[in-house]
Amino acid sequence: MNYSSEVRQRFLSPYGAGIFEHSSLGVVSGEASDRTLNVRACFRVQVVDGVISSSRFQVFGCPHTLAAASWVSEWLEGRPAIALRQLNVRSLADTLEVPVEKFGKLLLIEDALLRCAQVLEGTI
Amino acid sequence: MKKTGPIYLDYAATTPVDPRVVESMNGCLEMDGAFANPSSVHLPGQKAAQMVSEARAVIAARIHARPQEIIFTSGATESDNLALKGILMGRGNQHGHLITVKTEHKAVLDTAKVLNRAGFEVTYLDCDSTGLVEVRQVADALKENTILVSVMHVNNEIGVIQPLPEIGQLCRSKGVLFHVDAAQSIGKVPLPLNEWCIDLVSLTSHKVYGPKGIGALYLRPGVQITPLVHGGEQERGLRAGTLSTHQIVGFGKAFELADTKNEAPKLEALCARLWRGLKSIDGVRLNGHPDQRSPSILNVAIPGVEGESLRLAIEDIAVSSGAACNTDSPEASYVLKALGLSDSLAQGSLRFSVGRFTTIDDIDRAITLMKKEVARLRSLASFTPDW
Repeated sequence: MNYSSEVRQRFLSPYGAGIFEHSSLGVVSGEASDRTLNVRACFRVQVVDGVISSSRFQVFGCPHTLAAASWVSEWLEGRPAIALRQLNVRSLADTLEVPVEKFGKLLLIEDALLRCAQVLEGTI
Repeated sequence: MKKTGPIYLDYAATTPVDPRVVESMNGCLEMDGAFANPSSVHLPGQKAAQMVSEARAVIAARIHARPQEIIFTSGATESDNLALKGILMGRGNQHGHLITVKTEHKAVLDTAKVLNRAGFEVTYLDCDSTGLVEVRQVADALKENTILVSVMHVNNEIGVIQPLPEIGQLCRSKGVLFHVDAAQSIGKVPLPLNEWCIDLVSLTSHKVYGPKGIGALYLRPGVQITPLVHGGEQERGLRAGTLSTHQIVGFGKAFELADTKNEAPKLEALCARLWRGLKSIDGVRLNGHPDQRSPSILNVAIPGVEGESLRLAIEDIAVSSGAACNTDSPEASYVLKALGLSDSLAQGSLRFSVGRFTTIDDIDRAITLMKKEVARLRSLASFTPDW
């Protein structure tokens, strides 16, 4: 399996990995998993005045999935909360040169963000 | 001085060619070497033929056989094909029955599938959770039309050693032929053919510090097979094609150097050291039998880490996840699944295999890297699948 240099770098030093150590004020979480894809993605985002101030993830998955979660975590910070519904998975796959057969794994990251959005909006 | 650079712990996939083997092979390749066709009647041809003959004798002696019982092939995969197809198709009985095991190498299983599609009946025996097949299972599977039983000596993924003496005796008593894939045996575990009732044995050179592309099939006297490769009278008409003198000489030298009695304890000590280090990682478990296994193979399951991520994280250690033949497949190892492992646990398993050039430093570096990366990946996931 070939990995782009960005995937390798993010896999080795993933931005946003882990959990919030201190205040949980304004933190919402969302999770998605799929046994056939062997992936579980969990995102936690801290939203202050409608802006995502910080993002954390925990992912059980392949290097492409971990790298994608790191990229997303970095992308979310500083964006309005609506960004949780605006992830362009196809563009993300292109950026990280994710093989087409792994596209489904990135969709789980999208699902986890959508659940964060739903919690924030009070719809679940 | 401690080594740096990749750590090679994939000897079950293939081995580096021993320098002494390389030297013996070089002698066959140059103008003043034994480069001629061993089938030619002139003096250079006879020189090459002599070297082939000597190598054949060494290989035969290693397995307590006679030189005329050895047929050279391109490797154990071809030998497996020749054994299964050569026996079953040679019987002229399209309703013959083959018994094998679900954990055999793909060279046996895929050949069995082809034979099945051609009309032969095939029974695939299950193994227990350690990978062992019971003799009783073989006995229960035998039928009137059973022609051949094929069971590997040492499983290439988990190293388990099957009860060949007992299976052989059973087959002999029932008049059924018994084939053994012994690709992983030589230099690690004894294979005394003079004591066991085995009719065909597949051998290879590249797992025991010899060159790739050469192997052999042992054929007990009186066993008739149909050739698969035609076009010459080499190997008593059983496998046509110009003999590769340099590869055969290398094969012979590799077998000459294989010293099970002295090497096996060293391999066992290295594997034991590796296992002691790895089992200190929380949740790690051995795949296979704790005792009845090759001294050089260690297959472990590591819960809580995704397989592909683990392999990238420890890419400085050359190991296999499943058989080397299947590295492009994203699917979990069929051998580990036959043991009852879940897909996720099977994909997160690694096969380590040590060899002649493995050092204690290699083992210790591997343990250190494994502990570090498993801890890191587990912290990234904080999750152990229940699938």
